[in-house]
Amino acid sequence: MVLDFLQNLDSIELIGGLTLLSLFIGAIIMAVGVIIARTFRLIFVKYYAPKLAKDTSQNLGKIIYFGIIIIAFLVFTASTGVDLSGLIVAGGIFGVVIGFATQSVVSNLISGIFLMIEKPVKHGDSLELPDMGINGTLIDINTFAVRIRQFDGTIVRVPNEKFFTTNIRSLVSTPVRRSEKIVGIAYKEDIDGAISVMEKAIRKSMPYVLLTPKPDFRIIELGDSSINIEILVWHPREDWGEVSPKLLKVAKNALDAAGIEIPFPQRVIWQGKQ
Amino acid sequence: MEKNSELTFSKYGVYTITDSLNLFFPGIEIKIEKISENVFSYLKRDLEDEITEKKIPVTGSKLILEVAPIRPLNYPAKRTNYFYLEFESPVYLTEGSSATVFVQCPIEIGLFLHHESHKDSLDWITCDPFNSRFGLYGVPETGILCKYSKVPIVGSYDDSVDYFNGVIKINLRNELSGGHSVTKIVFPITDTSIYYDDSKAIFDSITGVLKKKLIIELFDVDTEPIQTNWTKSPTYEKIETVKRMDFGVD
Repeated sequence: MVLDFLQNLDSIELIGGLTLLSLFIGAIIMAVGVIIARTFRLIFVKYYAPKLAKDTSQNLGKIIYFGIIIIAFLVFTASTGVDLSGLIVAGGIFGVVIGFATQSVVSNLISGIFLMIEKPVKHGDSLELPDMGINGTLIDINTFAVRIRQFDGTIVRVPNEKFFTTNIRSLVSTPVRRSEKIVGIAYKEDIDGAISVMEKAIRKSMPYVLLTPKPDFRIIELGDSSINIEILVWHPREDWGEVSPKLLKVAKNALDAAGIEIPFPQRVIWQGKQ
Repeated sequence: MEKNSELTFSKYGVYTITDSLNLFFPGIEIKIEKISENVFSYLKRDLEDEITEKKIPVTGSKLILEVAPIRPLNYPAKRTNYFYLEFESPVYLTEGSSATVFVQCPIEIGLFLHHESHKDSLDWITCDPFNSRFGLYGVPETGILCKYSKVPIVGSYDDSVDYFNGVIKINLRNELSGGHSVTKIVFPITDTSIYYDDSKAIFDSITGVLKKKLIIELFDVDTEPIQTNWTKSPTYEKIETVKRMDFGVD
């Protein structure tokens, strides 16, 4: 019964020597290939991926999965004796057409591969794309795009090509970061006194500011209304939020408490007849 | 909770609580109270008047709590395993000489729950938050983030300041040609254990050798367990492997 069925399938020729039976066998080979690919990917994900970086493990998983499926397909074509030379020529022409039509897709794919090789940033890194005005944490690098979770909680998808060619500012590649703020004091005030007051306040109320290198104070401008002092402090890279947004408040409170004036711009207007 | 200015401060050690316990440290008060058959409440008021409250379910009718000095890594946040001790006055070592100095090193206080086979970290406190700060050893690009303290050189282990500082013995040796000043020592503090007695604390000792490897002059720092009858503090933080490294000579 089964043999008769198989003989019937073998007698039905579809195209160029490809019978229904060989197609059936091919389907079985492909199904087995998919099962093997999934099993290998599962074993890889369970036992080996945890030891690798997330991006690397994701990409290796894909390579293993699709590699086995491609091998299964080659076995299928070899077993059926299908002549692929015509398909290759047709595929070549088709590829050129598709290549022109999907230039950006291919570009993103190639950029993605280069990003995976170069690894300018890795999963979980905080980064800034200054040209695009994007700040956030890298979620993943996929085949065509990277995803970044911005600090406001929204997720941005950036095509690989743009990500690869833009400037990337890594916020976590060094153990410490520096924050800078500018504060102005009145011309009548003592500069050293004002610096000393701010230094003491930072030392007392900002536990994330490093003692070495110690906070630096630079006179950067004798402005229209004030002497402008730049405050530069170092802090652990994770604690920007504990330092930078609070620095001006600490400086102003300290100057206020010491009675040091922070002037606002003033303009004296002389009328011509006076 | 009452003002603790006139109170005797609590000692380090193991406390068995069947009903309630009040612990007093400089500027900090802790109250543990049984609120039902198998539940205790934990209330802490720290130096900044912040209140921390926890409920602690227990299997038996009592709660066993250990109060012990711990490594000063938790305030303001756990960011590193390294400590950077800068000496208030440098130690000058002539060629081929060695010296042993004792320096104060900040501590925090850990609270641990005792179970049958293990100790759980419940909470930590610091009595000296204003001197618990970070420092960077090296340059910003490649340096090591450390907890930092400028410390005096003291006479012996007896100079431990209750609840604030422990004492570390540092053995220094100069194997280089010519004299050198040692102004600081940077080491993975997670490699050192702390021991307590009453309200005093001491650390494992540290050995620092100025030596030459090929053409580079290095300050090789290593920790060494000490022999003492004092009680060894449990480890508060999760234990991580920290790589040992050589530090440059000034």
